[in-house]
Amino acid sequence: MMAEPQVADEGTPAAGTPAAGTPWDGMAGTDRYAACLLAARAGDRRGLNVLVAELTPLVWHVVRGSRLDRATSEDVVQTVWLALLRHLDRLTEPRALVAWLITTARREAYRCQRRDDQQRQRTAGSYYASFNGSFNEGFNEERVSAEPSKAPEPELEVLREDRDRRLWNAFSLLPQHCQELLRLTVLAGRTSYSVVAKALHRPRGSIGPTRGRCLATLRQLFEGEGGFR
Amino acid sequence: MNCTDQPHSDDALLGELDRLLDVADPVPAGLIERIQFAVALEDLDVEVARWERAGALAGVRGTDPGTVSFTVDDVTVMVTFTPERPEGAGHRIDGWLIPPGGHRVEVRVSGQQSRTTMADDGGRFVLEGVPHGTLQLVVQLDQGEGMATRRVVTPTLVL
Repeated sequence: MMAEPQVADEGTPAAGTPAAGTPWDGMAGTDRYAACLLAARAGDRRGLNVLVAELTPLVWHVVRGSRLDRATSEDVVQTVWLALLRHLDRLTEPRALVAWLITTARREAYRCQRRDDQQRQRTAGSYYASFNGSFNEGFNEERVSAEPSKAPEPELEVLREDRDRRLWNAFSLLPQHCQELLRLTVLAGRTSYSVVAKALHRPRGSIGPTRGRCLATLRQLFEGEGGFR
Repeated sequence: MNCTDQPHSDDALLGELDRLLDVADPVPAGLIERIQFAVALEDLDVEVARWERAGALAGVRGTDPGTVSFTVDDVTVMVTFTPERPEGAGHRIDGWLIPPGGHRVEVRVSGQQSRTTMADDGGRFVLEGVPHGTLQLVVQLDQGEGMATRRVVTPTLVL
């Protein structure tokens, strides 16, 4: 049904299955998460631990698609998972878990940004006033695109390849909504496109053109940095 | 993704980004383990208190004394951590809960026994000798007779 990365063929018992098998053994993608969620609901902590281990990278990158620094992002990611606990029984459709995580991660990140912006505003006067409102609109590119992104602290020292460094530089120069959309697009390749579309509150078809414009901008910036060379 | 045929295609760019994302902006070391600790609670019906702090402040990550506060709706959990002597002995936690009351406070420490105390009528509590490590506060609010139980949890702190 969607482009899930398959780690095991359906119906094929995974090699080296432990004696105490779990319902999600040999499952992948949404089915696996649904099985873990059901187990977690029934009080099986292993299910919750698998979800945390396998979906935290997704939540992390969604949160980092905002302008929050790494330390604040860690807190937001934790908040999202803790919020899930109370929500375990309320997710009527276990398959909706990934969408719930993305939506909650974005909401928590924006909430945090708003608070930080308000704090900065109080100390720095009105400079951030115009900045502030636009991000609460999510992907309202007409209002956001003129604003340069606050670079998300690229950890350039870990990028040994010059080309990688230039591409990450170019990516960091993109407007915020483009960075977030491209992150989500990349992540969508790891989970499912429709889940991303849902989390963006946009009809599936309309992401394409915006993404195309973001990629065109990225390509220009990258070529300004030296390109694929 | 095939990056060799069309080096400048959208797919090639997205493929490069996919690879870079985890290299340039990886999930912090230990975060998954800290979350697994934070969610391993007896009762899952909990309200999550958010960390109130300015974006620029580093929060409590180290051994300096520091005050942090967490809030959710009308509830505030404020705690001050003070390193005890001799160095490395642990921490003293001075806490203050709003609304005040004789609430039950549990400090969970990863790999250690939980510590529990009761706040006084003013909402204040003290815990001494809290070991280093990843910790989390769980507050059970005293709602009075016949009222539904409310449990508030914080994200983890690393002391």
